[in-house]
Amino acid sequence: MIALNGTPRHLFFTGKGGVGKTSLSCATGLALAEQGRRVLIVSTDPASNLDEVLETPLSGSPTAINGVPGLAALNIDPEAAAAAYRERMVAPYRNLLPAAAIQSMEEQFSGACTVEIAAFDEFAKLLGDAGATANFDHVIFDTAPTGHTLRLLTLPSAWSGYIDSNQGGASCLGPLAGLEKQKALYAATVDRLSDPAQTRVVLVARADSAALREAERTRHELAELGVGNLHLIVNGLFSARSDDAIAQAMDQRSSAALLAMPPGLAGLPRQVVPFLPRGTVGLDALRAIVDPAAIATPEGPADASTPLPAGLGALIDELASAGHGVVMTMGKGGVGKTTVAAAVAVALARRGHKVHLSTTDPAAHVAAAVGSEIPGLSVSRIDPADEVAAYTEEVLSKARGTLDASALALLEEDLRSPCTEEIAVFRAFAREVDRGSEGFVVLDTAPTGHTILLLDAAEAYHREVLRTRGEMPAAVTQLLPRLRDPAFTHVLVVTLPEATPVHEAERLQGDLARAGIQPWAWVIEQSLLASGSRDPMLSLRGAYEIPFIRRVADTLAPRCALVPWLAAAPVGVDGLRQLDH
Amino acid sequence: MPKLEIYDPAMCCSTGVCGVDVDPVLVQFAADLAWVGEQGVAVQRYNLGQEPQAFAANPAVVKEMEAGIDRLPIIAIDGQIVTTGLYPSRAQLAQKLGLTLSGGEETPTKSCCSPKSGCC
Repeated sequence: MIALNGTPRHLFFTGKGGVGKTSLSCATGLALAEQGRRVLIVSTDPASNLDEVLETPLSGSPTAINGVPGLAALNIDPEAAAAAYRERMVAPYRNLLPAAAIQSMEEQFSGACTVEIAAFDEFAKLLGDAGATANFDHVIFDTAPTGHTLRLLTLPSAWSGYIDSNQGGASCLGPLAGLEKQKALYAATVDRLSDPAQTRVVLVARADSAALREAERTRHELAELGVGNLHLIVNGLFSARSDDAIAQAMDQRSSAALLAMPPGLAGLPRQVVPFLPRGTVGLDALRAIVDPAAIATPEGPADASTPLPAGLGALIDELASAGHGVVMTMGKGGVGKTTVAAAVAVALARRGHKVHLSTTDPAAHVAAAVGSEIPGLSVSRIDPADEVAAYTEEVLSKARGTLDASALALLEEDLRSPCTEEIAVFRAFAREVDRGSEGFVVLDTAPTGHTILLLDAAEAYHREVLRTRGEMPAAVTQLLPRLRDPAFTHVLVVTLPEATPVHEAERLQGDLARAGIQPWAWVIEQSLLASGSRDPMLSLRGAYEIPFIRRVADTLAPRCALVPWLAAAPVGVDGLRQLDH
Repeated sequence: MPKLEIYDPAMCCSTGVCGVDVDPVLVQFAADLAWVGEQGVAVQRYNLGQEPQAFAANPAVVKEMEAGIDRLPIIAIDGQIVTTGLYPSRAQLAQKLGLTLSGGEETPTKSCCSPKSGCC
């Protein structure tokens, strides 16, 4: 039963992608509304499926939810917000300035920064301006995947600090400069976030060590930002009620993860939402989250069968025959991109190839997943903080010879801007892809929204490169053509056999197609159906997988592999080898 | 004291670090403007991407832009356009503004580079 006592006005749900933030924020909103409160649910996730969960088509303004008096929801689509923002900035000048000037302004507002800033601006309007949500008792933010969430939350203080200390006026605030007038709004946003009487942040995790580690990282960062009112929800906790091997392994793995929970996290007020065999989409499923005791436990194993796609081994054989190139695993956070990437890297190395495994996912644990050393395999992580430091140093060391002290000071100031991270991470990504001309590079990319932004940045960057004179590394100029070359880059779309992940992966495939990139294969991870479990709860959940497996294998995927839920965790070299058959 | 106005092309930041690479000309020019300001000149800098109203409000600037977007940056002193399409050196700025450079402030002259429009 979700506890609602003392719920403050603002609630945030944050956690690694796929842990159930959307379902829990909707279930909480539903429970509050059924107690007579007026509730607004807001999604700022670029890959939101709020419509699906609430069974109501939504827009950018509050829409009443069918059948739930008092409950309303809205989606903030960062892409649309950016487009609207761009239009607001440019439209007044269409008849005043020459076409070339308009075009150059539009280009300026087409980058990833603009998307981030526009989304944040929308978010600040809701949180910083009390009038915007005056008709509601509670505003619940179903926030974006963790890396994005953190940025959203850290930006206000970073920017407030920047606006204060930037004596040179509108310098490197970039697209944000137009928003500088909104400083008061941002300050109010920061205040509301840090005030425990007004805001609670709910960290959502599954009972697995990666999700808990991520929640602890978030807890630590939020605590540093002065956000004190933190709660923890452990979502989907499974307790075995049969001696089925898979059920026992799942139970033991969750219990072990909970026991090993970092102390900072263990000290937070905590709730547990049990494993629900019937999924979490739709109002009935949300009511089951609010009151799980009302749900009947199935008595015997569910019988269901469908022809199952083969495992990952056949795909890896086909990949290996190319001899070199880039393999990118893509998908929403939490679907097992890291596991698939690591398994592919290990399997290619075992087939005698030179392989480099790299990640841009801020929440990744690639090194931990590979465990020990394998000949021919190297592993690295693109750490945004390290990349920014290295880029800053590179720029400054080049500039030190030619600039005087005051010019250097200005340059250092501009290097503190939010744009620097985009540039630095992008350069690192291009560098990793470049290694693919020698051996294999396996990239475990960041969650969907961020990945798309990255590719968008790649496109903008690409245009920029074509226009700029000199000095660009070849790795960067070749990036986009390489990502689009099916002989060089193989994209594996990773998903889970559930409604939301398949829906998201389908959207991802559409986004990639628009960027001129065709996925090579799909990998369905953690299938309970393929695991062969006879546990009543797990086999019932397994039967729910069938339509999703069929949709992927029959309609969406050019090639498809199905990976079972594994009783022995797919961690370390031996654990990962289980996937290669 | 004279008034110096700079109409920059659309760019993310006045030092250019947000582009694919840093343009030292932009960084040096920003520092030169700071120096000019210290000499008592009122300096106003407008970025097409952020302050298009300043461009639209100045018919002479719009006329230049109609001739070609590469006329940016445009530099005006007391409303008179003095250079187009380049960032002048500190010495050139000083000369046009009637300021005296002391020896220590002389910087290596570089100019005639079109600015890089760079953002993320």
